[in-house]
Amino acid sequence: MLNIWMFIKLAWRNILRNKRRTFIASTAIGIGLASLIFTDALWIGMENNMVESITSSFLGEGQIHRQGFRSTHEVELTINNLDKLVSDLEQEDIVEHLTLRTTSFGMISSPANFSSINMVGIYPPTEKHISQIDDVITEGNYFEGDDPHDIVIGNKLADVLEVNIGDRVVMTVAQAYTGDLSQEMFRVSGIFHFNVTEMDKGMAFIRLDKAQKMLGINHQVHEIAIKFINHEYGRDKQLPFWDKYSKNGNEAVSWAVILPQIEAVFSMSNFSIFIIGLILFAIVSLVIVNTLFMSLRERMFEFGVLRALGTRPFVLARMILFEAGALAIISIGLGTVFGFLVTYITIKTGIDYTGIEFVGVTFRHLLYPVLQVKQFIIYPIWVFILTTLVGLYPALYAAKMSPANAMRKSL
Amino acid sequence: MEKRNEHIIVTEKLKKVYSDGGVPVPAVDGIDLTITQGEFSAIVGPSGSGKTTLLNIISGLDSPTEGKVWLNGNLISSMSGNELSDFRRDNIGFIFQAYNLIPVLSVEENIEYIMLLQGVPKEQRRQRVERILEDVGLTGFEDRMPLQLSGGQQQRVAIARAMVSRPALILADEPTANLDSKTGAELLDMMRKLNQDSGITFVFSTHDKMIMERAKRLIILKDGKIVGDENRE
Repeated sequence: MLNIWMFIKLAWRNILRNKRRTFIASTAIGIGLASLIFTDALWIGMENNMVESITSSFLGEGQIHRQGFRSTHEVELTINNLDKLVSDLEQEDIVEHLTLRTTSFGMISSPANFSSINMVGIYPPTEKHISQIDDVITEGNYFEGDDPHDIVIGNKLADVLEVNIGDRVVMTVAQAYTGDLSQEMFRVSGIFHFNVTEMDKGMAFIRLDKAQKMLGINHQVHEIAIKFINHEYGRDKQLPFWDKYSKNGNEAVSWAVILPQIEAVFSMSNFSIFIIGLILFAIVSLVIVNTLFMSLRERMFEFGVLRALGTRPFVLARMILFEAGALAIISIGLGTVFGFLVTYITIKTGIDYTGIEFVGVTFRHLLYPVLQVKQFIIYPIWVFILTTLVGLYPALYAAKMSPANAMRKSL
Repeated sequence: MEKRNEHIIVTEKLKKVYSDGGVPVPAVDGIDLTITQGEFSAIVGPSGSGKTTLLNIISGLDSPTEGKVWLNGNLISSMSGNELSDFRRDNIGFIFQAYNLIPVLSVEENIEYIMLLQGVPKEQRRQRVERILEDVGLTGFEDRMPLQLSGGQQQRVAIARAMVSRPALILADEPTANLDSKTGAELLDMMRKLNQDSGITFVFSTHDKMIMERAKRLIILKDGKIVGDENRE
């Protein structure tokens, strides 16, 4: 019986018999593999970029609220046991930064116009670690002084109100418990441009203590926004952190819970990658079948000779499967190198999608693909298995072939 | 059955009909043939007379439409694919017109291929290859690849490959057709000597006068039938 080394030796020597054909076929298969590696790396980069854009612009990677606040936005639904909660959060190893906020609907008016907005009370020194308001100020500044009447608004809201830096505006909100209206005059100290319409047109930021006073909630807040030491924690719905802080009438939720549509988009896109993978593999399969059949047709007589010498059909099929395996190995070598190089170059240069909005998320940074070890393990294994499986067809074809038919022109 | 055991090849009412566009064409038409152990025979006849088809059926490379074939006492016409493969491996050596060595294997690897299939231990394989290469005059060519050899040398390797597993029968299809007359004559003399020394039966299919002159029996085919059987012993 032929040992495994004989099969390997025959496979390699046969696959290298027609170097040009092997090179073309393995390049085609390799390009398919490289495309998968690059697509996967690009998608991971895109997801990270989207998550980063969502969480670092304002949302944070996790939030804590009073239960019911997210659906009702009732002003009196402030977080319970705030001091103890903040103290505990500061002890958490996985929490890198946190900030406190109030958030309430209100009306902002200028001499020229008025608009319904979300008034957010922030503590600027901690807020800048969570959100990027300070990074997107286009005019004025980000709470540089200590004037309690400073207000930072979006550029589109400024357009609506027809105000500029230094102009006065009036905020009107309803107070907690009583529902009494509370009004304060502010002076526009900064104008930001997030390139997200909802924020640029619908949000106004004031200092936390001023907001608490206007809303009549003393030192209470509506929201604690959290940034973890690893952004993956924010996406992990099973993280024990959420249960630990969903107590005493409060709820701790990840950004993925706050924006479930984004997770749905990610799931849908993963399915799209799977479909792309299937299409690529279908093309690759045709290349493999074509290559092996060309080789088989060329060597039909040789197979007849091997059968005549006493090679069993199954042994002949194994020889062809080993050839398919050898082709897969060459293709994997080319594909992984090519995939790595293309992805690496793109990582170095980045892809500029900044300002482009995709499913409601605006890309704020250059997009960098992410290389992962699994891309160089899972996809090559897929290619190897697929190539070998596809090789079964020509292998069985050769095995079933009558030796006399193969050698019709000789014996 | 006893009689069948005395002969290396026995065919009984052997018939092979091909279909040519729906029209049945008999390639072998009721052949009864016996070949005794140790014969040096040639099947001769014009193109289309059925020589190739007869050899294909005798060697188990093709199946008959009707009739039976016994080879070395075994009814091969009823064997399965694997049984036939094993039977050919252990009992029949082939020499082809175009040599048909495996191009990706060296001389040594080509010769030991059948022994690998048979599971012959490595040392024994090495010894047998060494001996057979000496017999065919190719000592020192072990590591050469087929394309590095002349036609005559390739055919010597093919003969070595056919002989090395010590088969009962060697079927040779026009073995001299691609060789010059001097080389052909040398090889035929070598095969005759091997036949005499080892007792292996040789059956040729040929047009070559040199083979016809050397063969000890001429089986003449025409239109799928034996029309002459000349014993020259």
